[in-house]
Amino acid sequence: MNSAMKARSILAALFLATTAAGGAMAQDKVSVTTEAAVAATEVPADAVVVNIDKLKYETPDLTVKVGDTVYWVNKEAMPHNVEFVKGVVNEGGLKGPMLKRDQAYAITFNEAGTFDYHCTPHPFMRGKVTVE
Amino acid sequence: MAHPRYLLPVFRASLLGLGMTCSSLALGTATAQEATADDAALTSAGVTRNDGESQGAAGARTAAADLAAGKDDEPHILEAPAPDSRRVYVNDPAHFAAITQQFVIDGDDGRVIGMTDGGFLPNPVVADDGSIFAQASTVFSRIARGERTDYVEVFDSKTFQPIADIELPNTPRFLVGTYPWMTSLTPDNKTLLFYQFSPAPAVGVVDLEGKKFGRMLDVPDCYHMFPTAADTFFMHCRDGSLAKVKFAAEGEPEITHTEVFHPEDEYLINHPAFSTKAGRLVWPTYTGKIYQVDLSSGDAKFMEPIEALTEEERSQDWRPGGWQQVAYHRGSDRIYLLVDQRDQWRHKTASRFVVVVDAKTGERVSKIEMGHEIDSINVSQDEKPLLYGLSTGTSTLHIYDAESGEELRSVDQLGRGPQVITTADMG
Ligand SMILES: [Cu+2]
Repeated sequence: MNSAMKARSILAALFLATTAAGGAMAQDKVSVTTEAAVAATEVPADAVVVNIDKLKYETPDLTVKVGDTVYWVNKEAMPHNVEFVKGVVNEGGLKGPMLKRDQAYAITFNEAGTFDYHCTPHPFMRGKVTVE
Repeated sequence: MAHPRYLLPVFRASLLGLGMTCSSLALGTATAQEATADDAALTSAGVTRNDGESQGAAGARTAAADLAAGKDDEPHILEAPAPDSRRVYVNDPAHFAAITQQFVIDGDDGRVIGMTDGGFLPNPVVADDGSIFAQASTVFSRIARGERTDYVEVFDSKTFQPIADIELPNTPRFLVGTYPWMTSLTPDNKTLLFYQFSPAPAVGVVDLEGKKFGRMLDVPDCYHMFPTAADTFFMHCRDGSLAKVKFAAEGEPEITHTEVFHPEDEYLINHPAFSTKAGRLVWPTYTGKIYQVDLSSGDAKFMEPIEALTEEERSQDWRPGGWQQVAYHRGSDRIYLLVDQRDQWRHKTASRFVVVVDAKTGERVSKIEMGHEIDSINVSQDEKPLLYGLSTGTSTLHIYDAESGEELRSVDQLGRGPQVITTADMG
């Protein structure tokens, strides 16, 4: 019982470590600012925001500067996220958490380029961020 | 071949044992192995079909006669009879089980003539000339977890042996309750097209002739594939249009959209009927309004929509419902639609009636009371078609005369939740 518990906490620690390492890997062109969804009220007033409403990213074609952080904010009850397929921002792909109404998720773009994304359960929802 | 002589008696004895097993199996379930031999036996014993004697009883009588005549049991692997227009395939997605089965049935005498195994939510296809049948399937290295493999399997229509096994790179299959037109054969049966939903809409091209995966075609936000030529298929798009997709060996496919042909609040079901040979797409809505598109010219010609249900019926809550709710018979140009009285949002429950409609005029031909809770229908494409009614709840295929609506026979024990009926249009 005890050793099983131990094994589990080691596993959990390992998992966390891998995730953290993954986030900091050199080949990642972005860093995830908020791993989980946060309340939209936590979005800084001067942040770059892409609102999501009516099954659309309201600014599907966004241009920012290297180092900028982009917040996505879901304005409707239908959950949405942002997903970058393998090779876009990193090797393994990046699948953001599902955002409920008035939740936000942020990514900081560290390199110039064009990064296409979509919503996981709604692949017809597409957007891109051009980083200059 | 080169068995040492002293082993022969043992070998024969075990074969005898096997033979007995086979015979009892044959009596019970009618496997592919049984069909040819028993057909011959039925003929020699003077048993006609549908005379009231069960297949099991006929089999038992033949076996008893053989035994009395001192005829040796020679166990062997049978071939299914040559495919004809009465052959019908029943696929059992088994309520999302990790592995599944397909039953191949002779609709003429209600006999199971063979089976094929599949993985998770496979998509079956059958060549209209009967030459082959195939499926796009998915397996995992540890039953329902571990490494996933998507592949296409092609079967010989008589031996049921796989004659091709083609792996699909990057597990691109759309895992969904089985929609027949999410995997399609081109009219020449040389290419299989399958749909990818995630991460982006795409259609996979599989070269069945060359037995290899071709490539993925990027397509718009559209669903289902209705092939009209070796290099052309149509899809139905979120915006209510059809997309025509023409593709070559490489390069971007050429995509054109039709006009939007239905409003956003008219819901087209997931199981339209499509006759590749007629180029006719028959697409009911939740209310029984039927859109028809003539794709025979290689371009979409929208026909005048028809109402399968009368105004009075609709006012009394008659609506289509089930899985494969619609069938189209090419020769007679008739539409069959599963209907019942139901709440608007019980569109996937079984129905007990089928309305038959003239596709040209929209006139009601008949309303058939099926006598069972039927989830899926289809028809054979010969001149005097059989109407197949599949009950998912009782795992039974009911076989009717399509003209009179009389139930002729049934086949039960078709897995755990059979849903999809496929026939070949061999005429
Ligand atoms: Cu979404």
